Amino acid sequence: MHRRALAAAAAATLALAAARAARADGEITLRGAYYKERSTKVQQPMIDARLDVGPGELNAHVLVDAITSASVASGAEGEAFTEVRYEHAASYLHRSGWFRLGGGYRFSDEPDYRSLFFTVQGQAELAERNTVLGVALADGSDEISNGTVSGLQTLQADLDTDLVSASVTQVLSPVMVAGVTYDLVMLDGYLANPYRTVSAVNDSGEAQKFDERVPGSRTRHALFGSVRRFVPETGSTVFVGYRYYQDDWGIVAHTPEVRFHQDILRDASVRLRYRYYEQTAAEFYRDRYDAPQQYLTDDPKLDAFRTQTFGVQLASELGLFGVGGKLAGVRVELLAEYVTQTSRFGDAVIGQLAISLPLEY
Amino acid sequence: MRYPPVTLRGTFGPIVGARTALVALVAVVASLAGACARVRPYQREDLARRSMIADQDAGEARFQQHARGSREGADGGTGEAGGGCGCN
Repeated sequence: MHRRALAAAAAATLALAAARAARADGEITLRGAYYKERSTKVQQPMIDARLDVGPGELNAHVLVDAITSASVASGAEGEAFTEVRYEHAASYLHRSGWFRLGGGYRFSDEPDYRSLFFTVQGQAELAERNTVLGVALADGSDEISNGTVSGLQTLQADLDTDLVSASVTQVLSPVMVAGVTYDLVMLDGYLANPYRTVSAVNDSGEAQKFDERVPGSRTRHALFGSVRRFVPETGSTVFVGYRYYQDDWGIVAHTPEVRFHQDILRDASVRLRYRYYEQTAAEFYRDRYDAPQQYLTDDPKLDAFRTQTFGVQLASELGLFGVGGKLAGVRVELLAEYVTQTSRFGDAVIGQLAISLPLEY
Repeated sequence: MRYPPVTLRGTFGPIVGARTALVALVAVVASLAGACARVRPYQREDLARRSMIADQDAGEARFQQHARGSREGADGGTGEAGGGCGCN
């Protein structure tokens, strides 16, 4: 796909959104996310906005990503570092009759990595909106360097990403809906970590550190299917999903997930979540390299491992606590998750606190 | 310099193959779609519930995708491009 065409389409849809003004509503969410594992901590405050704009919907977000890790190379040994990443994005989806068309961008910037994505997407609503077909195209351009660590040979590299996505959502009954999404992602460029080194036995029989070397392209396939069902008698919603993943580096992954959502009071709910993840190793991954090879990696993500996620989320509107007026509809969410990982990263905990303010204008 | 041939390595191995997973998924969705009745607009009250549209807000889902993308070899299935950061 052509990056300029995608960028132009995304810019045109955002300009269209800006030109429209009508009575509508929306929601602004302030969220703080926290991730902690043995050697890495992530703090991420963010603001999300969803606004009705004319016949369409505008979505935007800004976030700050503060990462503190024991090593600049994820999963490797080294000195502790802290890095801050900034991201902003916006997209607009315009409704016209039975179809929607839109686009957007996402920009991310940190000291040694800069990324810009453009996306265009379309949806067709068929059979009285019982069937929704969707397609999305995205093109990303990343610039990578290793400027945050002194003493290394300077690196300036690029990575291009293309995404083709197709989805089907089908209403099965007044209380049940199913969906299938297929994503094809093609990566081309620098895919290693510029700070990661790998130990291998050299021709002299001695252990030697080499820079990580992985293939210069990667093609990823992901197929995700899900079913949601609401049970009116109990106020429960059950979500069952499964993702199959395969790429040309030899990784195959299975990800089943179950979520159970229960209304516990008029304006409050609890959600339980379990997710299982298992993957095989990349073809070129070795626990130990007895000789230098074409590809060398020490990336824990390319080894075989499994994870399990156990989560609980509590959500309530302030009206439950006697708050009246416009603030009664303010929604507060508290989320806690525990992730077991058999990879070298070790177990992790995740926490999130969000406040959503409904808007009418 | 010649390198040793690459061989597939996996501790667990796939539970099922790609073709089996695809056929099973298509069969399930097709059977569900074939069994469904057309839902009229006035019957959509429960379908419009927050838990039925998306019980994960955009920010929650994005953070989870970001965390997984830097800890798991697999990515995708969300209809959105992952990556975009130096968390590799």
